[in-house]
Amino acid sequence: MTLPPFANEPVLELRRAPARQGLLDALAELDTTLPLRSPAWIGDDRDDGEALTSTDPSDPSRVVALAPCGGADAAGAAVTSAQQGFRAWSATGAAERAAVLLRAAEGMRRRRPALAALCVREAGKPWAEADADVCEAIDFLEFYARGALALERGRPLFQVTGERNTLSYGPRGVVAVIAPWNFPVAIPTGMVAAALATGNTVVLKPAEQAPGCGFALTAVLREAGVPPDALALVQGQGEAGAALVADPRVATIAFTGSGAVGLEILRSAAQLAPGQTQLKRCVIEMGGKNCIIVDGDADLDDAVPAIVRSAFDYAGQKCSAASRILVHEAIADALIERLAGAVEVLQVGAPGAFGSDVGPVIEREAARRVRRYTAQAAAAGRVVASRDELPAAGWYCPPTVVADVAPGTPVLSEEVFGPLLTVERVGSVDEACDRVDALPFALTGGLFSRNPDTVAHVARRSPVGNLYVNRKITAAMVGRQPFGGNRLSGTGTKAGGPDYLMSFVEPRVVTENTVRHGLVV
Amino acid sequence: MGGGATAGVTQDDVLAVGRAIHAALPTGRGPRHALDDRAMDFAAADAELRAALFRFVDVVPACHSLDDLARHLTGFLGEVGDRPPAIAAAMRLGATRAGRTALGAASAAGVKHMAHRFIVGASVPDATGVLRELWHRGVASSVDLLGEATVTAQEADRYARRCREALQALADAHRDLPPRPHLEADGLGALPRANLSVKVSALTPLLRPEAPELGQRDAAVRLRDLLRTARELGAHLHIDMESFDSREAIAELVIDLLGEPEFADGPSAGVVLQAYLRDSPELCDRFIGCARDVPRRHPLVVRLVKGAYWDHEVVEARQHGWSVPVFEVKAESDRNFEALARRLLEARAAGVALRPAIASHNLRSVAYAVAVTRALGLSDDDLELQVLRGLGDDLQDALAACGLRVRTYCPVGDLVAGMAYLVRRLLENTSNEGFLSAQHEGTALEELLAAP
Repeated sequence: MTLPPFANEPVLELRRAPARQGLLDALAELDTTLPLRSPAWIGDDRDDGEALTSTDPSDPSRVVALAPCGGADAAGAAVTSAQQGFRAWSATGAAERAAVLLRAAEGMRRRRPALAALCVREAGKPWAEADADVCEAIDFLEFYARGALALERGRPLFQVTGERNTLSYGPRGVVAVIAPWNFPVAIPTGMVAAALATGNTVVLKPAEQAPGCGFALTAVLREAGVPPDALALVQGQGEAGAALVADPRVATIAFTGSGAVGLEILRSAAQLAPGQTQLKRCVIEMGGKNCIIVDGDADLDDAVPAIVRSAFDYAGQKCSAASRILVHEAIADALIERLAGAVEVLQVGAPGAFGSDVGPVIEREAARRVRRYTAQAAAAGRVVASRDELPAAGWYCPPTVVADVAPGTPVLSEEVFGPLLTVERVGSVDEACDRVDALPFALTGGLFSRNPDTVAHVARRSPVGNLYVNRKITAAMVGRQPFGGNRLSGTGTKAGGPDYLMSFVEPRVVTENTVRHGLVV
Repeated sequence: MGGGATAGVTQDDVLAVGRAIHAALPTGRGPRHALDDRAMDFAAADAELRAALFRFVDVVPACHSLDDLARHLTGFLGEVGDRPPAIAAAMRLGATRAGRTALGAASAAGVKHMAHRFIVGASVPDATGVLRELWHRGVASSVDLLGEATVTAQEADRYARRCREALQALADAHRDLPPRPHLEADGLGALPRANLSVKVSALTPLLRPEAPELGQRDAAVRLRDLLRTARELGAHLHIDMESFDSREAIAELVIDLLGEPEFADGPSAGVVLQAYLRDSPELCDRFIGCARDVPRRHPLVVRLVKGAYWDHEVVEARQHGWSVPVFEVKAESDRNFEALARRLLEARAAGVALRPAIASHNLRSVAYAVAVTRALGLSDDDLELQVLRGLGDDLQDALAACGLRVRTYCPVGDLVAGMAYLVRRLLENTSNEGFLSAQHEGTALEELLAAP
């Protein structure tokens, strides 16, 4: 099976009016079908409960999806189903599995406007990012399909006369995918696609805030030919996730989410349960405290818009979002003034309206957390940009910039996950690097400098998984910017990169003696 | 008979005009100019070196000391693979502190010298001498205020204020100048002397590709104010076109505002049509329709350009996997330029209140527009030609000598803020496909005048 080379799914050209209209039409159509039934789906059984609801973050009175709230029982049943399906699915060749994933990519392509509209409603994602979310899901399907084909060929080994050595990679078993709400289509699709491509079977538990997206992507995969017992969907909250992690029959856990949950997963997965015959492997992506260093020679015409987008796109709810600016004192005042002015003109509003720069945060609890951190930063620093008027309904938080926060304030080292940005002055790039180095997180980072020596120096010193130079630090593209963090940000696996599938397989070496009675056969 | 031989204009007609303009090009050039040209040729010859020099010119305003300047320069030059002796010498200088100071001073002076060629003054009062001298030599001007990008409301207000002050200063500077009839009137009436080009992206921080109405609404407030000022002063206000991301917003904004009853009596205003855009013929028709259907005292000026954001448009489209909005083959752009020039002139000849302004340094494009004008029975005064200060100086003199109306687009602003602009101009100048470089290489005149 040979495929054309991978290419990223092009995002919509929203600068053209017909493209915008297509999305608005899709949203209007979606609204006529709300609330969506988003059942759990184990084998051929659908469980149509209503215990779990997702609502529109920009208008919490609008219910987007209704789902059951499964617990340990549902998780157990799902693992049983996936375990039963493992033998057959793992025995299909990579070519067949790739073909299924490519059909799923095609299915998503056909439903792009509808899926983007669902992201807008269920996750409060502005249009450009909702569209990019669906494109990234398509990219993962296309990219891992190709990766699985390449992996099936194995790797060459040293051969001597009289023996034949082969190295191949086989699936590990049942993979529990525990997904976040902030990339409600892309991230679960990516983790599921990687597991399926390599011959594993999957139990997917989407975030409780995004059951509608979880069901929609499962439906696309099933429709494309993923067997019912190769992919189970469990809807639920933390209890279901914890049960999946603890289940002795689960071989691999793929998780993207908060640091606290990630650490708990690692702890639980390390515990050997009775009947367990395999060490659990964890692919964990957690948070960040992402800094952008701005050197004295930066072009502020470029840096200011890029910083604003890095910090405030999707209301700062990306794990890659910028939350600290470390600026050279020589240009700090100019940067702060321009940044403040640029943040003051940000349009705060409903994500479904074109022109909204900053939408709501995901839920009430998130809004409280962001306001708590904002107050903490304000008390320890100087607020240079904020907003008094916000839309009345919805979980909106004012986009805020706080300068010169006192060192040691927790907001400088903890993840906020909201539209809050702090700015600190540094005397040199090295001082900025020291501050980055002192953080436990190492996910993304940015640098604005026009000196090639400075760029090389920071690239060498920076511990982050993804360093972006003279551009925004969000919007990693599959195949172009393999994404994932180091240190306490994650296990160092890179989604959308050439090595990612290795986390879902185990290597097997077969050595065959080809000498029989002194004769090489 | 080439592709230009359409409806009454033969290749011979174009050749005749082209030869006449070419014959009027200045010959004995000053040694200073010749030296600049040699430096340009030198940079144009090597892509890596050119990139290094552009990056250097770009960063000069952000360097805080001569030492810092030199460190950047040697950093960029260090990435050039094959180093000519002069570059190797610069790298050696960069190894010591004293050497860096000398290198920084020399390179800063070099950049400043080049900037003076393109930027006529730090402010309009500063530039008045140059502008008046151009007028005396039979050349009109349009001033463009350089500055940093607008990312805040305060910056938009500041730019609008600078534009108001510039309009006032331009009106003052042109008041007591001697008459130059062919610069001041055409068959449709009087032409303002004072002429300012403005950028919508500088008038609002809210230009969003996916929400054109947003920037349109915000810029309208400031642009309306400028239109009023221009009307009071009897000046012309020209609204520049920029990258494709803002094209819809700018086109809608200008068409809407000029249609407001308040502006039916003035000022004189203009728009820009970019021939490198594949869909430019549609916009051309909209402009013509607007000039025909919206009664205004001053005819709409349509400046036809090739377009200055070619690289940006191609890179952006490729990065996103979009179809490229510009013609990727230069000849297609050139052919479209001629077709659009013809369309505008035909509309004018058919009685539409529209003033075509053909802005190009390509002798063939200019000669074609002049030939079409004459073939349509229009007077030479019914056509305006435009060139860029620093790049089109020779062509400007030749066109003026031929009795054609030429307007020179003059950037104004301090050299530091103007650097980004300067780099763009340099990019255009040293592009290997550019007409000017072909001219330097001594391409035969007939070849330069061949139909694209």
